[in-house]
Amino acid sequence: MTALRDHLDWLRETDTTVDVTEPVHWDGTVEAVAAEATRHGCPVVRFTETSGIARLVSGVYGGPDQFFSDDRDPWDRIAGALGHPPDGSYVDLIDRLARWEPASIDERPDAEPDATRCDGADLYDLGLPTTREGVPLVSLGVIAAEVDGETTWAPIAGRGRRSTELRLSVPRPFAEWCPPRTDVSVLLGVSAPVLIAALQAWTQGQPTPDAPALAAGLSDLQLATIDGRTVPAEAEVRVDGRLSGIDPKDAGRTAAWEIGQETTTVAVETTGIATREQPTIPFAPFDRPLADDVHLACLVEAAKLFRRVKNYWGVSPVRWIQIPVEGRLGLCIVSSEILYAGFEWQLANTLFSFSDLFDKVLVVDEQADPTDLARALDDMWVKAHPANDWVFSESHASSAAAPEYRDEDAGSRLYINATWDPRWDEEYIAPRVTMETAFSESVLASLADRWDELGLDEAVRPDRLDGDD
Amino acid sequence: MTADSLREYLGALESCGDLHRIDEPVSWNLEASAVTLLLNEADGDVPLFEDVDTARLVGDPYRGSQRRPWDRIALGLGLPRDLSYEEYYESVIDRLKDPIEPRIVSHDDAPCKRRIQTGEDVDLLDYPWPYIHAGDGGRYSNLHTLIAPDPDSEWVDWSYHRSMIHDSETSSVLLLAGEQTPNLYYYKYERRDEPMPVAIAVGVEPAVQYTSVMWIPTGRNEAEYAGGLKREPVDLVPCETNELMVPASAELVIEGEILPNERRDEGPFGDYFGYMHGPRRSMPLFRVTGITSREDPIIPFCVEGTGVGETENATSSMEVGCVGPDATLGLRTAGFDVQCIAPWKSTPRTVYVISTETTDPSYLHDMANFIFTTWGMLHVDFFVFVDADVDPLDQRAVIEALALHADPDADFHQFGVETMPKVPLNIYQTPTEKGDIQTGTSKAKTAKAYIDATSAGDADPDDRFRDDSADIDRRYRARRILERAGVETGDLPFAETEADR
Repeated sequence: MTALRDHLDWLRETDTTVDVTEPVHWDGTVEAVAAEATRHGCPVVRFTETSGIARLVSGVYGGPDQFFSDDRDPWDRIAGALGHPPDGSYVDLIDRLARWEPASIDERPDAEPDATRCDGADLYDLGLPTTREGVPLVSLGVIAAEVDGETTWAPIAGRGRRSTELRLSVPRPFAEWCPPRTDVSVLLGVSAPVLIAALQAWTQGQPTPDAPALAAGLSDLQLATIDGRTVPAEAEVRVDGRLSGIDPKDAGRTAAWEIGQETTTVAVETTGIATREQPTIPFAPFDRPLADDVHLACLVEAAKLFRRVKNYWGVSPVRWIQIPVEGRLGLCIVSSEILYAGFEWQLANTLFSFSDLFDKVLVVDEQADPTDLARALDDMWVKAHPANDWVFSESHASSAAAPEYRDEDAGSRLYINATWDPRWDEEYIAPRVTMETAFSESVLASLADRWDELGLDEAVRPDRLDGDD
Repeated sequence: MTADSLREYLGALESCGDLHRIDEPVSWNLEASAVTLLLNEADGDVPLFEDVDTARLVGDPYRGSQRRPWDRIALGLGLPRDLSYEEYYESVIDRLKDPIEPRIVSHDDAPCKRRIQTGEDVDLLDYPWPYIHAGDGGRYSNLHTLIAPDPDSEWVDWSYHRSMIHDSETSSVLLLAGEQTPNLYYYKYERRDEPMPVAIAVGVEPAVQYTSVMWIPTGRNEAEYAGGLKREPVDLVPCETNELMVPASAELVIEGEILPNERRDEGPFGDYFGYMHGPRRSMPLFRVTGITSREDPIIPFCVEGTGVGETENATSSMEVGCVGPDATLGLRTAGFDVQCIAPWKSTPRTVYVISTETTDPSYLHDMANFIFTTWGMLHVDFFVFVDADVDPLDQRAVIEALALHADPDADFHQFGVETMPKVPLNIYQTPTEKGDIQTGTSKAKTAKAYIDATSAGDADPDDRFRDDSADIDRRYRARRILERAGVETGDLPFAETEADR
């Protein structure tokens, strides 16, 4: 189990946090600082001087783009938050997320919630990040509701309207599952498994209220009960209340998980606020590159697709799938063995069938490294024939949700085949220039032997490398 | 101060702590290139091999970091190393717009004349030309300036065609029709059955090297542009065995002629695509008539094929630092409204990104058509157009633009399927398609494409991701807050540039 606090400790230990100690709680400045930090691949930013009860933190589930850093991957922080081993691979990570193995929560001991009531506190007292107009913003949380003895958690994005009202965008299937005036809890400062499970349960095309069990399948989750609702015990902040209205009109897209989803705006009339001691609320700046919600949505969608295609044809030629966070859900990359001529077409179109988000798929060979986006794109430019391997569908395909360019319902899709043609003779296939292919073993052995003599430790500039390299 | 010679530039690198001298003997046979590749991949120091038989080698001396590929190019021009890319671009463009005539110096004042070999004394194999990748067709000189004259005018072209050493007095030169010097050879000298006089200046001063990489318009005096870049005249000195003038500061000059209707094998070679392309093919034969050099010359080389993905080498950094500003100036001079044109940093020479205020579809088509029929004809397969507020060197931002703004229905424009010429160095054509035709290009034609990734065609162009002036001001203040919190300024790439917008 990696609760948010444990995760923050880990981030501090790995030297990936900075503290903003000056007051920044006016004019949307907190959000602007977070947006700038995420855009530029900065460390996690902790805001220690806020206007309210809680400290704020941005970037806890974010990370740099793959072009920015060669020793950090965009998903490192999420992997850490899931307790993924430091040497674990990207494939292991999406494989784990793709398992969708709910674990029963019925037998789990009921823990005390770590958050305790703050009598008299209202939404403004929390010190949430605000818009330029001072409207409090809510992100990276879940809403918990219980219906007929079953609790679910769903993703949220929204804002405070008054000191005692939240207006939250939620998946429409969740709103339909909840009867009007249901009692709910809004949970902020929760662990990655909780956020991921809520996304998996309600945004993956087959809605299910099974989010707590999915989260339990991802980690050893401590659970508590509030008015019959099961909630993660470790939540930093809990806002209890009641659904007071549903506005089917979309209030505008704000979080990445909303892309391609039918959403509904619900009003929550708050009845009480509970916090942990010195609570910390993570948040994601809305609609910004590399924000935490984009990272989470990309990883969850990639895992869904990996799950769907993994054994789709009775075999598993697909090595990995990535929705690169750099493309903001508008591009999918798949690494696969090409089983036979034309398999790349089949594969790309299968992915189009399973996701409404993107209309561009890049197919790369099974040797492609999922941690080297630059190289995958390099293959797109140099290995794919500019005409023959950039393949456009006819124009009646459903429009994808992430791109900005289409109002109408139909259009073309594109896949780029950057794999070697299985019909080619072996001799046609150009080997890559790498240390291993460009030099014989004896040259490499000699280099290793002469390493000190040639002063290479000094020359490789260890300050530019991570320790393991 | 602008470096007057390769040595002075290496001295400047050393002053910055970026040069690694290796005094121990190192072999030209893969060992020097293995060390260089290692340091390229690690973004390490530039290696200077002090003891390689009869001369010295330096590996990828102009390689920058992928974050700031232009930094060491800037150092060679005496420009500050902390310039934003826009400041750097505009500085280079200003210099190119103000050419300075070269100065002719005497033999005594020409460092490249300290040692002179002509006639039977000539021996190319006296020098440690590196064998760069296992599998290469031979040893190469591949970071030099090839000087060749137009037989019908005063124009002399400086270019950058690699040469594979064959024996003591011959090499083959990669000449691909469509480029300036190859056109002179194939369509003038060879048709007249005349040898083309040539000098290969190795280890030239930075301004000369940069000019050789740029596409200077036909008929212009390249030495003047090098002088413009340098902000003072480039010194030229006559060759010993032909009429050509060569940069006096060169480490070594190979004089000779490229013979008509003579071919020798060239390649395979680990090329700029990042792959070892093949097959071996026939290229024009260069016969050496003289070699002049400094004492203890330094021969630069590039480990080609390593400037892809996350790694830089001299070629990829010079693409950004030299070709980028030059191409930007070229398009502006041709009347196009471009903010900046920059190569895709992870893929040198194949794809360029152009930011522009004017996004009218016919305007973009005309611009792409202009480029593909001029300097972008052989090597470039793709152009990506982005909005003026997108930094073309920010690959994340360009990928986002491609993913979110380039409509497969309307924004991908291919110039036919099998219509356009292509260099045979590519890896997507089969050996049969490449053929081995007399003029060097592939036998089979190919396609080229441009992608409109601007937001012009979006359903609601006023929608997300647009920063107004208040946003820009807030972003600037946000960055200052992050800096005060201890975030290194280097972690905020292009911050100043964005604030200026």
